[in-house]
Amino acid sequence: MNGAKKIVLAEDNSMLSKLLKFKLEKEGYSLFIADNGKKTIELIEEHNPELILTDIMMPFVSGLEVISHVRNKLNLLTPIVVFSAAGQEQIVLKAFDLGATDFMSKPLSPNELVLRVKRLLS
Amino acid sequence: MNTYRFLIDYFNDSPTIIQATWIVIGLFSILILGLILYLKYLRGHLRKKESITVAYEQEYEAALITYLYAGNDEEEISSEQQAIIDLLKNGAKEPFKRKILIAVLLKLKNEISGEVAESIQNLYYQTELVDYALSRLSHKKWYVIAKGIRELKQFQIKEAYNPVIIHLNHPRPEVRKEMQLYMVNLFYFEGLTFLDLLETPLSEWDQIQLLEILQKLENQNISNITSWLQSSNDSVIIFALKLAKIYNQLEAKNEIIQLLHHINKKVRLEAIDVLSYLNVLEAKEILKTDLQKRSQEEQIAVFKMIENLYENDDESFIMKYIHDDLFEIKIIALKILKRINREKFCSLKSESSDDSFLRIVNFIENN
Repeated sequence: MNGAKKIVLAEDNSMLSKLLKFKLEKEGYSLFIADNGKKTIELIEEHNPELILTDIMMPFVSGLEVISHVRNKLNLLTPIVVFSAAGQEQIVLKAFDLGATDFMSKPLSPNELVLRVKRLLS
Repeated sequence: MNTYRFLIDYFNDSPTIIQATWIVIGLFSILILGLILYLKYLRGHLRKKESITVAYEQEYEAALITYLYAGNDEEEISSEQQAIIDLLKNGAKEPFKRKILIAVLLKLKNEISGEVAESIQNLYYQTELVDYALSRLSHKKWYVIAKGIRELKQFQIKEAYNPVIIHLNHPRPEVRKEMQLYMVNLFYFEGLTFLDLLETPLSEWDQIQLLEILQKLENQNISNITSWLQSSNDSVIIFALKLAKIYNQLEAKNEIIQLLHHINKKVRLEAIDVLSYLNVLEAKEILKTDLQKRSQEEQIAVFKMIENLYENDDESFIMKYIHDDLFEIKIIALKILKRINREKFCSLKSESSDDSFLRIVNFIENN
């Protein structure tokens, strides 16, 4: 597990984060879970992950602020995939403006997520 | 002892009003003390209940994740999955645990698609939660029925069509609303067939919710709306008119034209608006012939229609209304005249000496 690529997953739905953690760990990645934006930033600064998966709407600090922090404050080029719900198209565009790499709309398919993660980390 | 004696004597020697005040103070003190104790008990009870809920939530979340990934290619349901099904089925017997289990399933189902979503749906059947939801549909309390229908909608149980549609004309609007949302969420435009049998009013809010769901659908092939335009339920007609407008149902124009003579003014107004939107010129001619018999609101709606569909032939008709008593009609008539025949419109300035009329003409000329 020591050589496993690190992923920070920011998701306030505990069920979804457990499911994705299980799925991605099965694929050999090392997962760090945050249920709010503030904790996400702390985990990113602590672990310097190879990939960030973040929900757009989160308590305390939103997904957009996480992207902005990573790109403008930490000056990292780490790929960031955002999860958005239906009707958040404008926010997704903002996320891309801020430097998001990819997005997936909810309800999301775990299999599709694994493919995207593999592609981004290959 | 002396203090106690002193207090008793003091009370006995006091005037009646003071005695009464002390009695009231005493009663309120007991009451407040009782309430404080009750609130303390209630807080403790709620905290305990919350911690039990969290514990069950975590147990069921872990069980669900294990269930979702415990399958193998050889068996449809592995022994590990069957053990989890049995555990959840057992828990679902208690209403408290069942509520938590349903919340856990929905928490994931709403966020996920594909195979995992299908597995959750299967688990809903295997744990027999579906049977509990179905049994709620025949409950005597309306809110239990409404919750049952909502749950069946959330888990997309199409097989419940017959027991759900029975509540089509339920006396409670909340039950009817859930029934309607179930139909449209699960059967899309085909689900709207409940409108054929709807006898109760379809509220404005119900209509907005149904339209919102329909507009999110990928397949936008709307079913035939003509029967709803002829419904005996006015709210169904108004909803059908909204559908006609949103989905450009020009093929239903004859039925909509018939509605110009409907007994309900709201229906007539909606029909004028839809015909105007669909650019049905025949409707304009019909409305011009009987304009005077119509209400003021309809007359204004007709002029708005003419503003949208005007032709040069309308000039003589329009001229009759440039001095109309209704301000809105006068304004629209002058606007139309300006577009049809600017020369004639400009000549109005020299022909009239009415100051207020001239101010209107000048305003329209410059805007």
